[in-house]
Amino acid sequence: MKRLYSNKLVIFSLVIPGILVFVFAILAPIALSVYYGFTDYSGMGKATFIGMDNYKQLMMDQVFHKSLLNSLFLAIGFIVIQHPIAIIVAAVLDKLQGKAEGIFRCIYFIPNVISVAVIAYLWKFVYNPDFGLLNNFLKMFGYTGKINWFSTDLAIWSVLIVLIWHGFGWGMLIYYTGIKNIDPVLYEAASIDGANGKTTFLQITLPLMKPVIQINVTMAIISALKQMETVYLLTNGGPGNSTQFAANYLYKQAFKAFKYGYGNSIGIVFIIICLIVTVCLNKLFADKKEVA
Amino acid sequence: MKRKIVSLLLVTAMLALGVMGCGSKSKDKADNNKAVANTENTADTASSDDATKEDATADITAEPVTLKLFSNLPDRKNGQGLVEQTIIDEYMKENQNVKIEVEALDEEAYKTKFKAYAMDGMPDVVSIWGQPSFLDEVLDAGILAELSEADYADYGFVSGSLEGFKKDGKLYGLPRNTDVMFFYYNQKMFEDNGWSVPQTYDELLALADKINGAGLTPVAMDGGDGWPMAIYLTDLMVKINGDCSQIVSDAIANGDFSDPVFTKATQILADSAKAGLFQTGYDSQDYGTAMNLFTNGQAAMFYMGSWEASMALNADIPEEIRNNIRVFTMPTVAEGVGKNTDIAAWNGGGYAVSADSEVKEEAIKFLNYMYQPDKLSKYGWVNGVGMSAQDQSAYMTGNETELQLQILDIVNKATSVSGTPVNDCGPSTFKASIESEIQSVSNGSISVEDFLASIGKACK
Amino acid sequence: MSKKNRKNNDSVHIGRVVLWVILILVAVIQIFPLVWLINFSLASSNEMFTTGLLVIPKKIQWGNYVKAFIDGHFLHYLKNSFLINGLAVFFVVFISIMAAFACKRMKWKLSNLVMTLLLLGMMIPIHTTLLPNYKIYSILGLTDTIWALLIPYVAFSLPQAMFLMTGFLGGVPVELEEAAVMDACGIYRIVFQIITPLLKPSIATVCIMTFLNNWNEFIMASTYLSSQTWKTLPFSVLEFTGQYSSNYAVQFAVMALTAAPAVIVYILLNKHITKGVAMGAVKG
Repeated sequence: MKRLYSNKLVIFSLVIPGILVFVFAILAPIALSVYYGFTDYSGMGKATFIGMDNYKQLMMDQVFHKSLLNSLFLAIGFIVIQHPIAIIVAAVLDKLQGKAEGIFRCIYFIPNVISVAVIAYLWKFVYNPDFGLLNNFLKMFGYTGKINWFSTDLAIWSVLIVLIWHGFGWGMLIYYTGIKNIDPVLYEAASIDGANGKTTFLQITLPLMKPVIQINVTMAIISALKQMETVYLLTNGGPGNSTQFAANYLYKQAFKAFKYGYGNSIGIVFIIICLIVTVCLNKLFADKKEVA
Repeated sequence: MKRKIVSLLLVTAMLALGVMGCGSKSKDKADNNKAVANTENTADTASSDDATKEDATADITAEPVTLKLFSNLPDRKNGQGLVEQTIIDEYMKENQNVKIEVEALDEEAYKTKFKAYAMDGMPDVVSIWGQPSFLDEVLDAGILAELSEADYADYGFVSGSLEGFKKDGKLYGLPRNTDVMFFYYNQKMFEDNGWSVPQTYDELLALADKINGAGLTPVAMDGGDGWPMAIYLTDLMVKINGDCSQIVSDAIANGDFSDPVFTKATQILADSAKAGLFQTGYDSQDYGTAMNLFTNGQAAMFYMGSWEASMALNADIPEEIRNNIRVFTMPTVAEGVGKNTDIAAWNGGGYAVSADSEVKEEAIKFLNYMYQPDKLSKYGWVNGVGMSAQDQSAYMTGNETELQLQILDIVNKATSVSGTPVNDCGPSTFKASIESEIQSVSNGSISVEDFLASIGKACK
Repeated sequence: MSKKNRKNNDSVHIGRVVLWVILILVAVIQIFPLVWLINFSLASSNEMFTTGLLVIPKKIQWGNYVKAFIDGHFLHYLKNSFLINGLAVFFVVFISIMAAFACKRMKWKLSNLVMTLLLLGMMIPIHTTLLPNYKIYSILGLTDTIWALLIPYVAFSLPQAMFLMTGFLGGVPVELEEAAVMDACGIYRIVFQIITPLLKPSIATVCIMTFLNNWNEFIMASTYLSSQTWKTLPFSVLEFTGQYSSNYAVQFAVMALTAAPAVIVYILLNKHITKGVAMGAVKG
């Protein structure tokens, strides 16, 4: 057995497809990005090595700062708005029995399986000040003003709402699974002790859901950081740069402003930020677990 | 740039008056003229001569060829896209061995993808813009094939219209249009409400108040893309200061936009937006949304170029609206030098052939076919697309839409033209910057000074 | 006692109502934009410019869907989407099972390193590879081929699949393999005939996650592809906004049509997908 299980050739043959894919699709592009990040390559013609210039420029680039702030905003928005609602709905759904439960779960999740392309265009129409669903809805309540949902101040909120709407089913489902995994005996004990729904939720459900919440929070922060496609189609970073995100910004720089080199340097910094954030989050939650 | 368009206008004007050009060509034209009068069917006969000619050559090189055409005209059933597709279909019919594959994206997506292609290898025939912001870097990289200018001597290109497509005296592309920017307006809506076409900018703003009061949108503006507002700015500058081309090129060369004409024009734009001239949320809405506000009777006016004149023939647009579309040019500004007849116009879009195309000869052959005067130019006119960069006078059918005649009149009466809009005069970093910052300055989230400073910075 | 009971009953009753109100409200928010979409996709463009929330079309415009179906190249793009996603799923499952087995069960020095490397992909933002990959693919002549999509789709789904597979493999008893070794089975037979069937639940999860992640992807597709040959379903929508810029109703129809396959599949496989997603997320 031992010899069979340490046959180098066999091991090699098993892992090589994975390694090849990794090298070809992830490592090589990153290496190339590192290289172009040090050049002033425009995308055509010659690339000249310019050292750290791109990175120096990037440190001062207010649009880049803005896009990181926007990511932070999204992350907070997810954690403060989406997740509490998702937990409550999941807890409520857990109380429901029979068919209704499945139907609701299904409805909540439907937006999630629809392509971002459809979602973004649909919401463009929903938000349209002149004939959009949202303003027409407000009109029913007597509010006749035209709200510009993509004004400089509101646009980022509008983006957040679309993302919350789109991702709600996913977050809810995970909480729901977490709640289902809680031992029913605990609830029985609580109800014998005379605890009402609210107390049970706060005293039993929430504390036991901690690991699930941690996972969800981690995913929320990371997805906020990596946001691109919805924004690309919904606002493309505008108006001005008020809804700009790192991934969208690097795309714009490379393919629109002819600054391929600069775009790549954004990519590299962006990767580093993602790595740091992921590692920190994992550390943070791992430590807590040990303490608990 | 400016001079060439003036001469273009002169030529068009002359031709419109029936003064024919060189004798050798006039017979052809007369023939074509007849053919056009009988519309579609005869169009085929008219080109059958070419067909036999093409067939003869096709016999020699009958091996199958696939041409890739990358176009910025995604709507293949209306306007220019229809014209382009019609010519492609005819060409494929006449040259059975040639297959033309079209990839079409709208303008913003097109430009993005074009830059990606520039790294990779271009499709064989591409749409281009004969403007520094687009073409300078492209030509520097040498990705477009050189064309022989002598080949086009009798294609009727208006003199000077090729200049924007040249580098060091060599020709790399051909212009498709003469673009003019103006306000489209809904004549019926104006009449029903007793509104009149504004002659001065103050009248325009006063009219906007009235229109807002009636619960409608005054001007539909495609502010989600930055360029229409940049052209608006150019248009205002012309009205303030007359000819601005030197001021603009100096400003871009020095990265210094402190000339008062910039400040004043930007201020007017910002004030207008604040006064509610444009639709709510104009700064995030795209081309289609702005246009649909107008074509569905939600907006009284639409600030856009002559290439949209085909709205008048678009069956998707309700008849009572499409039959009532008219235009007026940017009204005069108080204390400004420019007149109503000093217009924002330029030669912009066109076609070129990729330098490393494997079927370069076939691609150039197709390019030349498109530009035969009775193709792009004629079909464009017949389909109400607007003005081509070639002599179109031979194709007057007598069936022109009111809108077409009005546009022709505006061009004929023009006293000067702006040339390339300000956003397209500089490098692409400048273009990207101004088109994004102009949203911020128009909606008041940055000051005029900050706007001018930051676009200046982008030039360096 | 009885008084307290009644009070309890009342509050339970009110609680029930509140509970239903919450659930229905959220459901309406989630589903109404889609109802709106379908409603207007059956109207004519002009009817959009009314003030009500929904319209009763003067005449139901099935023609919108005909246009969307034909001019949107619906069948062609749908076929491409299924093919590309299907292949991606297959490769991801295949590669992740082999790699997971090698890293988790077999004895070699670098196993941890290789596993960490393969898992690293989870932290890399996928869009940063857009620029360099475009360059690489164009040099290798892979742009506008199916590989331009397959490679990144597989690469960015692989880490999560590895994670799930290794996690699940840890719970599979070694005894089964030992018995197989006694019977003189080769490693490959052990992996594909003994281990793979045991991994069924996690394979299902990997399939669902990979499919969901890649089904809706369009930014890479729109960057790497140019001809229609391999374009995927989201392109119907992207192309129509230009093609039918002045006909909103048709745009709505194409959006509804594009969304339909995924929604239908989801409703049919609702239970499995729910289970898969839940497992994938909690473990991943």
